[in-house]
Amino acid sequence: MSWDVNVLVVGGGAAGMAAALALAEAGASVVMADPGEKPGGILNRCVHRGFGQGLFGEDLTGQEYAARFRRLLRESSVTVRPRTTVLSILPDRTAVLSGPGRLEKISFERCILAAGSYERTPQSLLLGGTRPAGVYTAGCVQGLVHEYGQDIGQRIVFLGSGDVGQILAAQLAAAGKQVLAMVEQKDRPGGLPRNRREYLEAANIPLILQSTVTRLHGDRHLTGVTICHLPTGKESFLSCDTLITATGLIPDRRLADPLMKDGKLPEWLIPVGNCRRIYDIVDVLAADSRKLALIPQ
Amino acid sequence: MDRSDVIVIGAGLLGCFLARALRRQGLSVIVLEQSDDVCTGISRSGSGIVYPGYDMAPGSLKAALTVRSCRDFPALCRDLSVNYRACGSLMTGAGPRAEAVIRRKYVDGVKNGVPGLELLDGDACRRMEPLLSANITCGLYAPGTCAVNPWELGIAAFENARDNGARFVFSEKVTALSRQAEGFSVCTENGAYTCRDLINAAGLSADSVHELISRPSVRLKVTGADYLLLEDGSADALSHVIFHEPEEKGKGLTLIPTADGNLLIGPTERDVPSSGDDALYPAGGTDPAGPGHNGPQWAGAPTEASGIRWLRERCHEVVPELDTEKVLRSFGAARPRPYLTGADQNKSLRDFVILEEEQFYSLIGIKTPGMTCAAALGEHLAAIIAQNRGIREPDPAFDPIRKRPVIPRECSFEERQVLVRSHPAYGRILCACRDVTEGEVRDAVHRGATTVEAVRRRTGAMMGTCQGGRCLAEIQEVIQDELGC
Ligand SMILES: Cc1cc2nc3c(=O)[nH]c(=O)nc-3n(C[C@H](O)[C@H](O)[C@H](O)COP(=O)(O)OP(=O)(O)OC[C@H]3O[C@@H](n4cnc5c(N)ncnc54)[C@H](O)[C@@H]3O)c2cc1C
Ligand SMILES: Cc1cc2nc3c(=O)[nH]c(=O)nc-3n(C[C@H](O)[C@H](O)[C@H](O)COP(=O)(O)OP(=O)(O)OC[C@H]3O[C@@H](n4cnc5c(N)ncnc54)[C@H](O)[C@@H]3O)c2cc1C
Repeated sequence: MSWDVNVLVVGGGAAGMAAALALAEAGASVVMADPGEKPGGILNRCVHRGFGQGLFGEDLTGQEYAARFRRLLRESSVTVRPRTTVLSILPDRTAVLSGPGRLEKISFERCILAAGSYERTPQSLLLGGTRPAGVYTAGCVQGLVHEYGQDIGQRIVFLGSGDVGQILAAQLAAAGKQVLAMVEQKDRPGGLPRNRREYLEAANIPLILQSTVTRLHGDRHLTGVTICHLPTGKESFLSCDTLITATGLIPDRRLADPLMKDGKLPEWLIPVGNCRRIYDIVDVLAADSRKLALIPQ
Repeated sequence: MDRSDVIVIGAGLLGCFLARALRRQGLSVIVLEQSDDVCTGISRSGSGIVYPGYDMAPGSLKAALTVRSCRDFPALCRDLSVNYRACGSLMTGAGPRAEAVIRRKYVDGVKNGVPGLELLDGDACRRMEPLLSANITCGLYAPGTCAVNPWELGIAAFENARDNGARFVFSEKVTALSRQAEGFSVCTENGAYTCRDLINAAGLSADSVHELISRPSVRLKVTGADYLLLEDGSADALSHVIFHEPEEKGKGLTLIPTADGNLLIGPTERDVPSSGDDALYPAGGTDPAGPGHNGPQWAGAPTEASGIRWLRERCHEVVPELDTEKVLRSFGAARPRPYLTGADQNKSLRDFVILEEEQFYSLIGIKTPGMTCAAALGEHLAAIIAQNRGIREPDPAFDPIRKRPVIPRECSFEERQVLVRSHPAYGRILCACRDVTEGEVRDAVHRGATTVEAVRRRTGAMMGTCQGGRCLAEIQEVIQDELGC
C-alpha cells in the first residue's frame, strides 16, 4: 500500500507544529493542515509574555513563540496547508481537507490529531434571564481584540478566575476598560501564583469569591448580571455591559469520536497537545507532542 | 409617499407568508417590520413542530388549516427548498387520565381527517422508541408530524416573496394608522405609506397595533416558556417527536429531534411580569452596535433555572436514560394568549382570530400551530382580499420556487470539489463545528443579512458546540468586508 504522505498533522498550534517538526527531522513526509492564516493556534491570540522559558530560554509572548516555530517550519520539509480544515478522518486512513479553492482526500500512514481545545460556553452554563449580546468566552475576546482588532464593551465582569481570565482581565484593564469584578466559585482564585501576582493583583481587579453568576439582564445588550454568594444564597445585581466567561477548556476530539472502537482509538491516530489533555505550560506541551509523535507504532 | 395594494405590519412567519400569498394573487405588497430581520418575534423560538391536527376542536378553522397544512408541508418545503425531518410523532401517557386524553385526541383526529393515526399500547410505543420509560402505558402515533426550523421556513418564505416583488422595509416601526377615502395611511417612525388593504400581523403587539385604528376587542396576555437544546447529534436518541401527556393535569413535555440534529426539550409554561427587569424584551429596534456587529438577540422572554430543572425532571420520567447534561444552550420564548375584552372578559380564545373590518385585517395572537399554518393562513387571507378586488386568477408570473442556497456540506465529495475549484471561498471553513464556509457567509450577506445574528440563522454558523467562541471574530470580519464597513 502506498500512502500520499507518511503523516498528516491535523492542527497547527504549538502541539501540531512541534509534532510536525519532530517527524520531519526523523525523515517522514508530513502535511500539516491548519485553518489559520498562519500556524500558531491559540498562541496567535496571546500577546502576553510567559512562553518559551524552557525551550528557548527566553520570556516570549505567545505570538513570538509561534513565530519561532514558524521559522523552524519554513526551514523544514513540512508541507503547511494554511487556511485548511480537516473535515473528516476515515477508518481507511484518508482525510478530507478543505481550503480556499482546494478540496482533497489525502491518505496517510499515521495521523497526529492536534486540534486543540474549545472553551466551555456561557450558553451551556444555563444562566437564567435574557439572552443579550455582550456575553463571550475569554478565547473569543482574545481573538476579537488581539487578532482582529474588534472592540467589545467597556464595563466588564469575568466569570472564572483561571490563568486565561486573569491575563485577559489585566490586558483589558490596561487598554482602558473597567474590569468591575472577577467572580469565582471557589474560595480562592485559580491559576498560577506567578500570574496572580503579575496580572490580578497588579491590575487591582476585585475578586468576588465563593460566588457565581446566575442571571443575565438586558434586552438586546447586556445591562447587568445577578451574582449569587454560594454559601448564603444571597443575590446581588451588578451593572455591566460585558460578561466574559473563562470556565475551562475541553479537548476537541470530535474528529476522532467516530473512529473510537470499544473506547479505543486506532493505533495510527495519536492525539497530542490540548486535544490530548489541557496543558498550562506550552513548553511541556511541545516536548510531550514531540515524544508522542516519535513513538514507533 | 409609498403606495401599494396591501401593507402588512410585521415580518414574522405570518407576515412573510402573507407577502408571498399576496404576490401570488398579483397584489403589490409592502411589509413593514420594526426589527432588522424577519422572524425575530414569536417566530424566532418555537418548537418547530408541524402538527398533524388532532389537538384542535373538530369543525374549527384551526383544525381544517392544520390538517391541510400538514398534508401539504412536504410540497411547501420542496418549493421553498427547506429541510425538514419527516419523523412522525408519538403522544405518550402513563395512566388512566392520560389514556383518556389520548383516546379523545384519536377520536378528534379521525373526525378532523388526520391520516394514519394509530392507538398503541406501552410495548408498541417502546418498540418505536426504545428509550421510553417502562411506565408508559399508551400512545398515539401520527405519521405526518414533521420537525422544521421555524426561522429557516420564515426566511425562505421571505426570500421567495421578495424575489417575486414584495417589498420589505426593516427598522420601520408603525406608530399611527388612519383611514382615508380609499384605504389607509400608515405612519412609521421614518415615513408614511398608503394602501388599500391593511393587514396587522404584529405578533405580540398585534393587540396594540389593532387599537391604533379600532376599538379594543381581543387582547394578548404573554406567558413565558423555557427550552433546553442538547448537543449536536443528540437527536439520534429519538426517531419521533414525543408529546408526553402527564398523569396529573398540567403542562406536558415535548421532545423534538430537530432538523439540525439536536434534541430540543420544552416548553415550560409560566407567567412573565409585564414590567421590570424580567419582563418581556421590548421587541424590535435595530442593533445599537450598528451593522456588521455581534448582534442583538431580539425579542424573547427570560429563561428560568427552575424551568430548566423542571424539564430535566420530566425528561427523566419519560426517557430515563437520556443524558440531559450535554447542553448546547437554553432559551426562553414568549407566548401570546389571546382573550376577549368587554362582556366576555378573560375568556381565552382557542381558534385562530382574524378580525376583519372594511379592508383592515388583524391576526391577533396566532399561537401554536401558527407556524404549521402560516402558509395556509396567508393563502386564506390573500384569497379573501383578492376576491374582494375581483381577482379571479393568480398571477401567472409568480414563481413559487425558491432556489436552495449553495451549501457545500450537502454536496457529494465530487460536487464539492468542483464547487470549491470554481468558487474558492466555498473551500475555506469558517465554522468548523457546523462545517460552514466563507462562501456561505458571503452569500448570506448578499441575500440580505446585515448582522452576525442574521448570518447565524441563515448559515447555521456559530450554532454548534463552541457557539461561535472560536469563529466569531473571523466571521465578523468577513461580514464587515462584505458590507464594506
Ligand atoms: C489564554 C492562554 C494563555 C496561556 N498562557 C500560557 C503561558 O503564559 N505560558 C505557557 O507556557 N503556556 C500558556 N498557555 C498554554 C499553551 O499556550 C497552550 O496550551 C498551547 O498553545 C495549546 O496548543 P495546541 O496546539 O494544543 O492547541 P491550539 O493552539 O488550540 O491549536 C490547535 C489548532 O488546531 C486547529 N484545528 C482545530 N480543528 C481542526 C481541524 N479540523 N482541521 C485542521 N486544524 C484544526 C485550530 O484551528 C488550532 O489552530 C496558555 C493558554 C491559553 C489558552
Ligand atoms: C413557545 C412557542 C412554541 C411554538 N411552537 C410551535 C410549533 O411547534 N408549531 C407551530 O406550528 N407553531 C408553534 N408556535 C406558534 C408560532 O410560532 C406562531 O404562531 C408564529 O410564529 C406567529 O408568527 P407571527 O408572524 O404572528 O408573530 P411574530 O413572529 O411575533 O411576528 C410579528 C412581527 O411584527 C413585528 N411588529 C410588531 N409591532 C410592530 C410595529 N408596530 N411595526 C412594525 N413591526 C411590528 C415584530 O417585530 C415581529 O417581527 C409556537 C409559539 C410559541 C410561543
